[in-house]
Amino acid sequence: MRNSSKIILTAMVLSFSLAPMMARANTIIADLSKDHISIKSNFAGEKLLLFGAVEATVDGPISDIIVILRGPGENFTLRKKQKKLGVWVNGAAYDIGPLPGFYAVASTRKLSQMVPPNVLREHSIGADAMNINFLSSDIEPSERAEAIAGFIRLKQARALYAEAENGVQIIGGRLFRAEINLPPGMPVGTYVTEFFAFQNGRLVGYQTGELPVDIVGTGHILHQAAYEMPLVYGIGGVVMACFMGWGVATLFRRR
Amino acid sequence: MLRQRFDTGAHMQIYLPIAEMSVNILTLIGMGGLVGFMSGMFGVGGGFLMTPLLIFVGIPPAVAVATEANQIVASSVSGGLAYWQRRAVDVRMGIILMTGGIAGSYAGVQLFKLLRELGQVDLLISLSYVLFLSVIGGLMLRESLNAIAATRRGQPLRARRPGAHSWILRLPLRMRFRQSKLYISVIPPLLIGFFVGTMSAIMGVGGGFIMVPAMIYLLRMPTNVVIGTSLFQIIFVTASVTILHSVENQTVDVLLAFLLMVGGVIGAQFGAIIGQRLRGEQLRALLALIVLGVGLKLFIDLISQPDELFSVTRMGFGG
Repeated sequence: MRNSSKIILTAMVLSFSLAPMMARANTIIADLSKDHISIKSNFAGEKLLLFGAVEATVDGPISDIIVILRGPGENFTLRKKQKKLGVWVNGAAYDIGPLPGFYAVASTRKLSQMVPPNVLREHSIGADAMNINFLSSDIEPSERAEAIAGFIRLKQARALYAEAENGVQIIGGRLFRAEINLPPGMPVGTYVTEFFAFQNGRLVGYQTGELPVDIVGTGHILHQAAYEMPLVYGIGGVVMACFMGWGVATLFRRR
Repeated sequence: MLRQRFDTGAHMQIYLPIAEMSVNILTLIGMGGLVGFMSGMFGVGGGFLMTPLLIFVGIPPAVAVATEANQIVASSVSGGLAYWQRRAVDVRMGIILMTGGIAGSYAGVQLFKLLRELGQVDLLISLSYVLFLSVIGGLMLRESLNAIAATRRGQPLRARRPGAHSWILRLPLRMRFRQSKLYISVIPPLLIGFFVGTMSAIMGVGGGFIMVPAMIYLLRMPTNVVIGTSLFQIIFVTASVTILHSVENQTVDVLLAFLLMVGGVIGAQFGAIIGQRLRGEQLRALLALIVLGVGLKLFIDLISQPDELFSVTRMGFGG
């Protein structure tokens, strides 16, 4: 686990900075089943295991754990269809962001049951607590709410936003584990993991780490070429097509 | 330690780097095979069937169009070679048509890019398809039903002679086309080329179904060079569309194009064998029904209320 020392170090640094709000440091310690995710050409999604241990405090054992995996922030354009001349066309457009392209949260029970809403917002826990920033101004509150609901629905439909309220299991009072589904359409970049331990609605342990997600192999080369050398990529596509066409014509004429 | 492997064992899935989605490899080869089969059987290019099919399976329309242009380069090279070897290509006419075509493809890609930024490119693609598929399908159906009726009555159908459009051919800038035995103005072929090139960029088609009738009825080219010349210029125009879409929109998925080519060439071989055993007018009636069906499906998708009114893209990666 090459990356665990980094996580522990981060946890230690953070525990100093978060010390005032925590009863004690290192109440939670965690790691992932992988230290990076490679999207190969046969990538059909996979499961990431997040696990670790919690230590009981003076108030007793910890039973409220929240695990978050957050993708890199991006700006999005959200469009709403409307009927014009009998045809459904894209009407209003909203630019929103930066928002994570991927966001999964797993917890031992319902978020609202274990943590007060203001604390959820303070730590941006859960899609509802996410601060959705509209880049275009003067949008009515009702329109804004509808757009936000639409955005979250779209992300959930592609499994890019997920909330599992029984997604974290505690084993033997000390160990915990959670599984997060990584869908094929997940964006690339550096993801952030966050582990929260709560006790009576109070944060008692916190750890964060990083998870790089990259496209590798042929897919990576093609993706890179398409965006960085588009002319070469386009000519390459044409050359490949000519060879394929020529090859087929010669192959089938012989018979 | 606790580390585990979570490979799902889904070896048949392939991640398309530009479409940014995972699709079953057999589905793609199968689709390529099906459309290849139909294009071999009916003797048509197949782009106008493949692009809607790609959209139906969830490939973003902009990616479907640009990628299909890339696939057509391959199918027109393999089809065109035979005509080239038989010298059934009017190269000079081909060059004039493709000059118009490449200019048209540039205009089409620019329009595509503009509408993409406005989030309306999907609408442009769908509307173009509904329009062309219903017109072409309707004309083909009428023509083939007339032919079937005529054969039943035992009369040969009189071939329709080109009308009196000859003034267009007497416009200035005339040029001699030896292979076609024509001495006509270059303006009409340039304009036809431009129109088909624009269509190619917007719809991801070769445009043979417009080009071939235009060559016969408007330019009055002899039928023996029509298909070869059409394929010859389609190679260059779709190559231009592929490169321009790559540069301007980054929507060509060469991996997807490759898989469609593999399926397409296999399908086309079988399609050609079956096609020879069936009667021409019945084949055309069948193709007309398929074309109308695809057009109808796109039309219904446009007018019926979608389940989800919202759509999302990364900012700067329009529709």
